[in-house]
Amino acid sequence: MTQLAVDIQSVVKRYAGHVAVRDLSLQGPVGAVYGLLGPNGAGKTTTIRMLLNIIAPDEGRISVLGVPNTTKDVLDRVGYLPEERGLYKKMQVRRLLRFLGELKGIRGAEADRRIDYWLDRLSLRTSEKDWGAAKVDELSRGMQQKVQFIGTLLHDPDLVILDEPFSGLDPINAQALKDTVLELRKRGKTVIFSTHLMDNAERMCDAVCIIARGEKVLDGAVSHVRAEAGSNHIALGLDGVATDQVAAVLADESLVRRVDDSSRFFEIELADGANAQELLRRLVDAGAVVQRFEKVQPSLHQIFLQKVGASGIEDGMSGHG
Amino acid sequence: MDKVFAVMKREYMERVRSRWFIFATVFGPLLMGVLLFLPGWLASRSQSRSDATDIVIIDASGAALGARIGDALVAGGGNRPVVRVVEPSAIVQAESTATKEVIAKQRQGYLLVDALTVAGERARYSGRNASTLPDMRRIEDGVRGAVLSLRFEQAGLDAQRVQALSKIKLDMTTERLSERGRGGGGENSVFLAYAVAMLLYMSIVLYGQAIMMGVIEEKTQRVAEVVVASISPEKLLAGKVLGVGSVGLTQQVVWIGSAIAMLQLKGPIANALGIATVSTFTLPTVSILTGLSLLVFFLLGYTLFATLFAAAGSMVSSTQDAQQVATPLTLLIVPSLLLLAPVLLEPNGTLARVFTIVPFTAPILMPVRMSLTNVPMLEVLASIALLVLSCLAAVWVAARIYRVGVLMYGKKPSMSEVMRWVRVSR
Repeated sequence: MTQLAVDIQSVVKRYAGHVAVRDLSLQGPVGAVYGLLGPNGAGKTTTIRMLLNIIAPDEGRISVLGVPNTTKDVLDRVGYLPEERGLYKKMQVRRLLRFLGELKGIRGAEADRRIDYWLDRLSLRTSEKDWGAAKVDELSRGMQQKVQFIGTLLHDPDLVILDEPFSGLDPINAQALKDTVLELRKRGKTVIFSTHLMDNAERMCDAVCIIARGEKVLDGAVSHVRAEAGSNHIALGLDGVATDQVAAVLADESLVRRVDDSSRFFEIELADGANAQELLRRLVDAGAVVQRFEKVQPSLHQIFLQKVGASGIEDGMSGHG
Repeated sequence: MDKVFAVMKREYMERVRSRWFIFATVFGPLLMGVLLFLPGWLASRSQSRSDATDIVIIDASGAALGARIGDALVAGGGNRPVVRVVEPSAIVQAESTATKEVIAKQRQGYLLVDALTVAGERARYSGRNASTLPDMRRIEDGVRGAVLSLRFEQAGLDAQRVQALSKIKLDMTTERLSERGRGGGGENSVFLAYAVAMLLYMSIVLYGQAIMMGVIEEKTQRVAEVVVASISPEKLLAGKVLGVGSVGLTQQVVWIGSAIAMLQLKGPIANALGIATVSTFTLPTVSILTGLSLLVFFLLGYTLFATLFAAAGSMVSSTQDAQQVATPLTLLIVPSLLLLAPVLLEPNGTLARVFTIVPFTAPILMPVRMSLTNVPMLEVLASIALLVLSCLAAVWVAARIYRVGVLMYGKKPSMSEVMRWVRVSR
């Protein structure tokens, strides 16, 4: 058995009036990138907060890096980027980072060395300007996110937990984040992140867990999850917008169970017993100019919609996932 | 413990660096200096001015009292006042002439003396400087002295001799005497008690509120979650209370230190400023035991209120709501001020004895009482013991509220919700 970076066993968390997490178990192996997927209000943030011992579960056990997460100092080896980003606005960036480092047991010259490394790496310190000497509220939103990210990684944690890391990131910062996550993995670190952006999860994660309404819907390696979800999926690309005739074919329930319509690109789940060849023939007959027609494994996005559906999103729930 | 220290260090460094702290720390001693030296300086200025002698004396006494008053006033420096001897029937005429001169700014004012003045009953002064106390005192002293010398002379005593004999400059010094011996002036110990009360009250309110605002700021800026992922809320709370407390102590060391220095060096400073007389206030002698218990009461009182303020701050999500939760706490502190006067008047009365034991008023009132009188050791110890217990209870409750509250956003929780936070630890 491979060593587990996180091991959540039958965890329950109740709040007055509702259950945020019910009987959740999940295992994240060391050295993997693990995605925690789910709609808003699914219990992602609650789960992550329990992992970090910020709140205690009502039932169940949680281990982090091989020991219970209440063990002294084990959380010093964990880095956390909360969904609600926040920094002391009036503090100088460098002093703030030193403080965050000290909270994780990194201090003195070692802390300064690492701060310099990260400021350089994320271009917060260039030959023209050292943003480390500026106050946090003088920084742009994007730069503040970089600072927060440095704070998460400054102590070189073995386990990195990112709650909705992509929310509010511009494309450049999002790319920098992806690169960093993959580099962490290369160095044998474990990364767990929650997201509702399936594209990112699909590209970056080794394994995922989909939760909805506080319960696990499915989990496992991404390749395994996708293979399991069946092979009766078709990726269809059209030249030009679908005509009414083409739309009529796609709406035929004897052929198509579900279609994800992105105007010129369609992800189609065939109906039981339907034949891909038959679908292609009907489409061509309807006058579609087909650019791509391919049998594919379903995307995580499809699987998510399939498993969770619209019903998985609790009515009126919002806020922390 | 390292983490508590990290939080403490951050709180301390960020606050000590703030403009507000530097301003208040420098401004305090400055204000003290002004209070100490300004009266002397003003007095020395007004004495060198000649307003008090730049007057008209309307003498309707028929006994040449005006000339005597003029002599007495000139003895203190300045020009000789103009003396106009008139018949009692011409007083009205003389007054209206003098009034015109005052309005035309030729004179500061006029003094009217008549037979009633000689009888020792009254004199009347009207002038621009009628509200200048040193001037009025000088004129009054002058009149009194003149009447006295006139009477002695009428009684057949030698004027020179009378003057020599009646010249008395008396200052009464006061001293506290108790079974523990002599020490400090009586007036001074009231002053000290008052200063102690104000210092304690201000630092408890100011720094208690500073902690509350700090907690709310951490919430509104969403920093709290990052921090509590690395340190338990209890340790965070402890670090904050210690850090802000150290800021308060630093400020007080500066204030008290400069007060002592100023009082010790007031002679040389006054000379440098060219001031002859400085307030007679001298440094009260504070025994080491009193000093120590002052420190103990400050620390305990601060801890009690600071933890409660922190808990209150963790309950709300915006500074607008802060006042609402701070009000009940303020109501616990304000009685200390309301009871200050009764305790000063009767430091061993029942009221004083009761409220120096009650934990919420003891931190301020007990030191006040101790600087006024000798409080039985048993009462001091009982007060401290009760305060320590209250502190422990407050820390326990505050830590539980803080642990839940610091991550709670949105609506201000109801009292019953807060009670549940306390019962269920997290």
